[in-house]
Amino acid sequence: MKIGIPKALMYYFYYPFWKTLFESLGFEVVTSDDTSKSILDIGVKEAVAEICLPMKVYTGHVLNLLGKGVDYIYVSRFVSLRKGIFMCPKFMGLPDMIKGLFDRIEDKILTHHIVSKTLDISEFHNYTIFIEKFGIGKKDLKKALAKAREEWLKFRRLNKEGYDMNELLTNNKPQKYDGDITIGLLGYVYNVYDRFVNMDIFSVFRRLNIKVVTFDMMDEKVIYKNLRNFRKNMFWEFTNMLLGTAYEFMKRDDIDGIIHLTAFGCGPDSILEPFLTIDSEKNKKPFMTIRIDEQTGESHVIARVEAFTDLIRMKKYKAEEKAKGVV
Amino acid sequence: MYEKLFTLLGHEVITPPRPSQKTVDYGVKYSPEFACFPLKVILGTYLEALEMGADTIVTSGGNGPCRAGYYGEAQKKILKNMGYDVEFIIFDEPKKDIKTFMDNVKKIKGKNSWGKVLKVAKIVYDMAKSMDKVEKIVEVKRAYECNRGEFTRAWHEIMEEYRKIESSEDVRRVEKEAIERLNSIKVCEVPEEEKIRIGIVGEIYVVMGPSINGNIEEVLNTYGAEVERSHYISEWIDFNLIPLPSYKEKEHQILKKGEKYIEIIIGGHAKQSVGAIIDFMDRGFDGVIHLKPFGCLPELITESAINKIIREYEFPILTLSIDEQMAIANTLTRIEAFLDVIRLKKRKKRIVR
Repeated sequence: MKIGIPKALMYYFYYPFWKTLFESLGFEVVTSDDTSKSILDIGVKEAVAEICLPMKVYTGHVLNLLGKGVDYIYVSRFVSLRKGIFMCPKFMGLPDMIKGLFDRIEDKILTHHIVSKTLDISEFHNYTIFIEKFGIGKKDLKKALAKAREEWLKFRRLNKEGYDMNELLTNNKPQKYDGDITIGLLGYVYNVYDRFVNMDIFSVFRRLNIKVVTFDMMDEKVIYKNLRNFRKNMFWEFTNMLLGTAYEFMKRDDIDGIIHLTAFGCGPDSILEPFLTIDSEKNKKPFMTIRIDEQTGESHVIARVEAFTDLIRMKKYKAEEKAKGVV
Repeated sequence: MYEKLFTLLGHEVITPPRPSQKTVDYGVKYSPEFACFPLKVILGTYLEALEMGADTIVTSGGNGPCRAGYYGEAQKKILKNMGYDVEFIIFDEPKKDIKTFMDNVKKIKGKNSWGKVLKVAKIVYDMAKSMDKVEKIVEVKRAYECNRGEFTRAWHEIMEEYRKIESSEDVRRVEKEAIERLNSIKVCEVPEEEKIRIGIVGEIYVVMGPSINGNIEEVLNTYGAEVERSHYISEWIDFNLIPLPSYKEKEHQILKKGEKYIEIIIGGHAKQSVGAIIDFMDRGFDGVIHLKPFGCLPELITESAINKIIREYEFPILTLSIDEQMAIANTLTRIEAFLDVIRLKKRKKRIVR
């Protein structure tokens, strides 16, 4: 049996887990193609006009998978990844959205709730639906979950060592990249690692010899520690992770500037925004927002990153000269 | 409604004027660009209240995952940054943080006794119930008024009467007078089969705020359609504030009807909206208008589900996005066209019969 996994949204974060899980259960795993102009266009056409960019991309990927003759498309419903904290409503209604958009797709959607205490989604109770649906033994499922978890943890360990997710997912011999200045890049995995929608921003950084740190490279403990200063956490787990990471970036001297990469129409980010802009100014960290949408002209991204980092370099250079006592 | 509660408790209350263009401009200027419309309007309202000399803002929190639950925190941050020194009293669900909740209650209570607090709460609740009852009459009858504007004028005057209320007896008296007054207005009835009934569903803030949704109820009424909303303030109180199961039944039924299209509560009123659409359909309404703030997270999922309902039942539903750039003429044209389609559909059905 063929299971299709759309290469969008949480794919970047959980693909090693899903791949191992389904393969250990004896399924064939197919992913959709990399995001392309045609996938994006289909998504834009089919999805609700006002919805955020990542959801349009996701819709495109689902249709791409339909064309690949898969038996099921795996659309998990992420409800919660920490006690009392949810996900963006669009994640919680993702299967409903897909079912609402297309007729006769209902039987093709493989979905289940993910309610977890941590980012580790291997808790058995989430997957019991597989037992009835595919006649899988309890033991086999448990074994497969354990194996998937191990793979995922390995992936995350490397990720936290500073390898970016695309390197780990696509490159057999992943590389780390260094640079003479470091930028903290805040953004959700599906914006940061989707090379098409963000016009391959990583390659821009590399060409300019800039090292990039993202939230997924941070230890969760550090992030949660920063969140403790808030009376009330936001409701969306990954937005919280960005918030915690942002405050860590603001404190760290080795981060020269922060770029917030956000998608058009992102709701949680609009609430995150005042916290980032106000407090980065207070902490004297250079900060910039880049908003991506259906437009595919890459020059504006390059121009803005170049201008931003030029200023940072100038500032850094001046500070060094001053320290040396030249000025 | 809050105004009444606090005045009766002896606080000096500054009620910001009803949201106007100025409010919206204020809010838009100081809010994050992509924040949803309610946040902007509410921030604008706060700024107006602060200008009028308020020093404490009372607002409700929420438990998400809709953005509205975090408004208070974000707005606090923005106002602080603008240099306003203002105390925020944010009411969150008591079960999460009982201590803060009680502290807040005490701040509001001031020197009043608990008995008085309960009594005042009862008056306000009665008032909400009664106002909704009267408003429902207006929403139906206004569609058939002979002299345009009579019902609206009466309704505004009735609301003024409600503001003066001080006891539960007053509520009953005002209600009686109001109903008599409405019944005395001349209406030009139309035959039953030509009546059009429209349900309004969507995000609670834009559904309930006439100054925000461009007076949509009145507009529909003037085009000759009866209107009923999916949200009324007293029903909201029933479901959210009164911890008795019998008060929650209606909402649960609505939620059940939405289950097929949206499985779980995903925040805001997404599931309720879908449920309410089905409910209106079951009750024989002719169409539904779905209102949402531009970019609203949960209601966009609703919109996807609505696509399916339209296809499955051929039921007319019109989705309108509301934000600071809403052009009245555009909305009017869309509503007019929508009603024309419904009328045509009805007429066709009659001819076939």
